[in-house]
Amino acid sequence: MNDKNRQIHAFAARAVFVIVLLLIWEYVAKSGMMGEKSELIFPSLEAIGDAFIRNFIQGYAGISLWVYIGNSMKLLLEGLLIGVVLAFLLSGLSMVSKIFYDICNLVISVFDLLPGVALLPVVIIIFGVKPGVIVFLVVHAVLWPMSRNVLDGFLAVPQIYVEAGMNMGLKGASLLWGVYFPAATSYIVSGLKVGWARAWRGLLSAEMIFGVASCPGIGLFINQMRTNMNNAEMYATLVVIIMIGLVVQYGVLSPIEKCTVKKWGMSR
Amino acid sequence: MKNKILKTMAVCMMAVLLAGCGSSDQAKETSGGQKEAGQEQNADGEAATLNLAYQYGVAYAPLSIVKEQELIEKAYEEATGKKVTVTWNQMSSGADINTGISAGSIDAGFMGAAPAITGVTKGVGYKIFTNLSGQEHGLMTNDANIKSFDDLIGSSNQIALVNIGSIQHILLAMALENAGYDPHALDANIVAMAHPDGMAALESGNASCHLTSNPYIFKERQEENLHEIMDVTQAWGIDDSFIVGVASETMHDNDPDLYQALCSAIEKAVNYINDNQEEAAKITCEFDGNSEQEELEYIQKSKYTIETSNLFELASFMARTEFIESAPESYEALVFDNVSGN
Repeated sequence: MNDKNRQIHAFAARAVFVIVLLLIWEYVAKSGMMGEKSELIFPSLEAIGDAFIRNFIQGYAGISLWVYIGNSMKLLLEGLLIGVVLAFLLSGLSMVSKIFYDICNLVISVFDLLPGVALLPVVIIIFGVKPGVIVFLVVHAVLWPMSRNVLDGFLAVPQIYVEAGMNMGLKGASLLWGVYFPAATSYIVSGLKVGWARAWRGLLSAEMIFGVASCPGIGLFINQMRTNMNNAEMYATLVVIIMIGLVVQYGVLSPIEKCTVKKWGMSR
Repeated sequence: MKNKILKTMAVCMMAVLLAGCGSSDQAKETSGGQKEAGQEQNADGEAATLNLAYQYGVAYAPLSIVKEQELIEKAYEEATGKKVTVTWNQMSSGADINTGISAGSIDAGFMGAAPAITGVTKGVGYKIFTNLSGQEHGLMTNDANIKSFDDLIGSSNQIALVNIGSIQHILLAMALENAGYDPHALDANIVAMAHPDGMAALESGNASCHLTSNPYIFKERQEENLHEIMDVTQAWGIDDSFIVGVASETMHDNDPDLYQALCSAIEKAVNYINDNQEEAAKITCEFDGNSEQEELEYIQKSKYTIETSNLFELASFMARTEFIESAPESYEALVFDNVSGN
């Protein structure tokens, strides 16, 4: 019962917060605070709502926003999957081999600092001019922070668990699977959250700079709207991005969290 | 229970306060902006300010002269006996400058003819006050089998150019139409990337074509294994408007002295660069990061003039081929009264 009350409260607090923000937006838009051209650069909620619908019906260049979203999601999932698998591989191998750990640690520290779009020229020369470039940049965005999280998780596993596992005859891969993974789940889940957000942002910024017209994505759509001074459409696309983010957060990541770390009592 | 409701309310209040802070900050910024505009308005006030936005490259060379020789400051002082503070902001795209001008934080800017036409027809609140330069453009390919558009249309060959909807894209559409094809026939072959990346992609064989402008086009023409598809080169040449200057209507109407100073400074710089190419190259090479000789060569291969050329034709073409939503009514709708050309 208490739990349900808590949920209602959380929902009410968020709803009020969002409504207040929207009201402030509308006030700023309507009051002409942003100067004469307010309607152009700071469109009202109605204009953004209209643009939202227009994006899906008319889209840009005769292609509905759905197609752009589909293209982006395809590249994103590909990159995310490769990135997550590689992150597990890197951090797993680091726990098995000390030399690999030393090198891996350095590599993560170095590459985590490099913005993906700064690597674009090199990536184009190596991979050529195709959507694979975007996938590579998404992998780059996910891999390093995710590896760092998983590795930290593995390192935080109490020595006593590891020794208990060894006593039971676990070693190498079976030790990783039997002890490290379950014990580090909360780190892995938080790594997934960070990785997802980084992937999403990496994808959009890459698409805004590097656009393959035969496979246009949301980043390209935003850029187009900006170039053509269609600011209401641009904001409406940002709303779409936020909505996709929320769907993934509450539809995918939260359930994972609920079934693992929350259920096991590792986090509240 | 009561306690919890109180807590929730506290959180809401905090949210409101936080948001309130945000908006009052914004209000401050805008009132600051208005104050600046106000300073321009009352010409009898102490100091006028002029916020300029420009972009990067040889096509903008006269601006380096204006900046270095303080031509706007001098012209304004000569005309009114007062001082003006000029702020130069380097921005990366016409779209950013458009937003800046519509928000009132920028008074005048320099950008490609295409984004300027977009801005005028969208009602950003500015018009074109001068032409700045014309440049060479061309479509280069590394594939000996590609000789004309026929070999490209329907193929999977990729054309690198700077952005979808950019002037290079429009020139491609124009060249296609001139050759009797659908102007959007090659849209699916475009890959958008910056000029240097496109050059790297062409030279490494990752993209088969690159549509680019001065100075990259000159660098690529020197490579033996690359050749040019001439349709684009002929569609829009050195005589046609490429970079133009735009000034906000507020500035034009409220401070005619400053507007005049800006126009005459650009004219002086353009004349200077045409009369003393070598001297000019010495000044501008630092800003553009080229050697003096390279800079001189690029300047000689550019055309600097304050007279627009084929601007209205470009706007009509953009409207006809749906690069912009509405066509301007006339040439006069695009430019201020003092601009000559077509």
